[in-house]
Amino acid sequence: MAESPFLAIEQVSKRFGPTRALDGVSLSVGRGEIFGLAGENGAGKSTLIKLLCGVHTPDGGRILFEGKPHRPRDPEEAGRAGISVFHQEIPVCPNLSIAANVFLGPAMPSRGFAPDWRGMNRECAGLYRSLLGEEVDPTRLIRDCAAAERQLALLVRVLSRAARLVILDEPTTALTPPEVARLFGIIRRLREQGITFIFISHMLEELMALSDQIGVLRDGKNAGGLQRGDFELGRLSAMIAGRTIARQPRRGAAGGGGDFLTAAGLSLPGEFEEVSFRLGKGEILGVAGLQGSGRSALVRALFGAPPPARGDLRIEGEAVQIDGPVGAMAAGIGFVPEDRKTLGIFDDLDVKLNLCMAGIDRFSRGGLLHTRRLRSLAATMRDRLSIKMQSLDAPVTSLSGGNQQKVLISRWLALKPRILLLNEPTRGVDVGAKQEITELIRSLADEGITFVISSSELEELLVLSDRILVMHRGRVSREFAAGEVTKEQLILAATT
Amino acid sequence: MEPAASESKRTAIQRIIGLRDFGVLVATLAIAAAFSVATPVFLTPYNLFNLLRQAAELGIIAMAMTILIVSGEFDLSVGAIYAVAGVVTGLLAMKLGVNIWLAALAGMAAATLLGYLNGLLIATTRINSFIATLSTMMIFRGVAMVLSQGQPVSTFRPGLFFDLFGRAELFGVVPVPIFWLAAWGVVMYVVLHRTTFGVKVFATGDNREAADLAGIKTMRVKRAGFLITAFAAGLAALISLTFLKTVTPTQGTGLELEAIAASVIGGTAMSGGVGSILGTFLGTFIMAEVRTGLVLLGTDAYVQEAFVGLVIAVAVIINVRLSSRKK
Repeated sequence: MAESPFLAIEQVSKRFGPTRALDGVSLSVGRGEIFGLAGENGAGKSTLIKLLCGVHTPDGGRILFEGKPHRPRDPEEAGRAGISVFHQEIPVCPNLSIAANVFLGPAMPSRGFAPDWRGMNRECAGLYRSLLGEEVDPTRLIRDCAAAERQLALLVRVLSRAARLVILDEPTTALTPPEVARLFGIIRRLREQGITFIFISHMLEELMALSDQIGVLRDGKNAGGLQRGDFELGRLSAMIAGRTIARQPRRGAAGGGGDFLTAAGLSLPGEFEEVSFRLGKGEILGVAGLQGSGRSALVRALFGAPPPARGDLRIEGEAVQIDGPVGAMAAGIGFVPEDRKTLGIFDDLDVKLNLCMAGIDRFSRGGLLHTRRLRSLAATMRDRLSIKMQSLDAPVTSLSGGNQQKVLISRWLALKPRILLLNEPTRGVDVGAKQEITELIRSLADEGITFVISSSELEELLVLSDRILVMHRGRVSREFAAGEVTKEQLILAATT
Repeated sequence: MEPAASESKRTAIQRIIGLRDFGVLVATLAIAAAFSVATPVFLTPYNLFNLLRQAAELGIIAMAMTILIVSGEFDLSVGAIYAVAGVVTGLLAMKLGVNIWLAALAGMAAATLLGYLNGLLIATTRINSFIATLSTMMIFRGVAMVLSQGQPVSTFRPGLFFDLFGRAELFGVVPVPIFWLAAWGVVMYVVLHRTTFGVKVFATGDNREAADLAGIKTMRVKRAGFLITAFAAGLAALISLTFLKTVTPTQGTGLELEAIAASVIGGTAMSGGVGSILGTFLGTFIMAEVRTGLVLLGTDAYVQEAFVGLVIAVAVIINVRLSSRKK
């Protein structure tokens, strides 16, 4: 009995349709331990967490929690068993006090029908003292709290419900360095009280600072682990990256930069600072970086949505002032946003209108819509990019993700742009479509279109780019020529 | 391979059933059939013309409002704008002796100006249009009351102007308001469904951020929607003035909600991005046929109002069901 670990994950598998999200993963976590979980996006970290907290159930293998089989049907059941997840998107009621947010739920202390505010405030302050060792004003509204205070309130909330295993999913992304230090102090203190943690982060240094041991997932499988004492940045990033895939740089010719598109000192406070780069005609610049590193804000800013606050941008040596999408379009710049659903697609409109929406005024004949011309352009783009659809009049939502993405790319391509900005060009598309889009981008670059591509998928950037800009906390941390960089180097530059 | 080929594989019947407005059309006909059975007077040309004439003002405003709702906004102040336009025209013609044509032009200009103010308010403050036009509704109504000192204006002298907008009967049978309803309907149909502006309206209401990123000036689109709606309220006010030969500062109270209701019955989504002029026309027709049908049946006037409310609920439920099944 004493032999069974606090949490044992044994040969757990989970598939979604044809993709194996988890494939025989095993992990073991001891009581009162901080277990760091590392891996790229899509490595299976979040799927594993969702199995633990009952959002999904495993297809194979088993999970033992405190020696007993753990197979919750929903997060509430997992919570009752003593496992709580703690992530950025936990709903809070911003107009209620800290104490109310801590106790909100069926077990809220009450006197008759009225909530017992005084008792709640007293109890909340007591919990802060005993659990976190901090003083708090429990009557403060969550709305007035900084992100770090909100997190603590949520932490107290789950702990007050007798959580014994707390899963911290990227808790530091919204925090400043001193706040991170404070949170880590609190976590260590709670560990002394016997609380066990699984800590997920993309920041390797944070993982190494806090964890007692680190487990790495890659492509849904175990990719090794390290004990405190063996921690080493190079080994960790190598485990996360796996072996580097063989790839052929697109063509060495364009590398080295040019003066087609030059940016100097671009800054947008709160997003990125002092970003500069030079780009030749027909070159592909990849932008790598973690979520919140300023990577996608930079690409959006080149399209003026919103524009950078400072800095100098030139196309073919001529200064351009891009104050919004309209100005960007006039300068020959197109933009495919990161989130197809919320920023790209008009889901109540048909394929042809979705395809021709940018610069729709081209199809105006005295104000009237020149439908025939619109159809024929849409048909041309459909054939050129081999977009699969029932008809041009079909709703755009009837298309697969990859074909929707092609519609968005052709929306800009139809305007014959000089520069195309792509944010996550292959997010949510299947492998085949990914390959097609990759080839499309390469051939368009060969035709002379200049690309700036931001992506969270490093492999994609390595395959596509001529050069790669790596961003970290709003600044360019390194710039690589694509031929001479490995995935580990990218991970290191993005995380430290 | 032209896509028209795959399109023609569907039979004509399938195409009709697949139309967005099919559900409303069925509802319109079903209600008409029910009343025709209940009372022989319902399905007579006289009654139908009368019904359409009564629905003309609502229809004109509702079809314009549809454009605004599709763009993602709506206007609660149309009823008050309708009153201001009528009062301004009436006062200029009767109290100041201005030529009725010029007075009418001034009334239309006043209406359009108020629509411009609505758009300006929403563009500069970014207040939700429900709140913004709720406040302008009360302000504009106050303007109508102050200008007229709360008194109706009447005793207009008949003339060509009155025939043209309200009193004449085309071919001796069709009341002229029906002509205006039809003409305005055609204009609205072309604007929303056949112009690049219409495409921008749909795009703005469907996904505003995506529309902005596609280079569409979405605020300008919405402001144009407010102008069109206010202009329609002015036109409707002229029809009312010429038909009744009187204007009151309280006229059109509740008209804004009826216009929204007609739009929604016709399948317009309150969240924007979905809607059709034909649907709104049918929605207006449904409201009018229920009202006149109940009158013909001799129903208590108080019951009628409740019944119209019921019809709105049923029509919307049917429409939601039909459209969700299609998806």
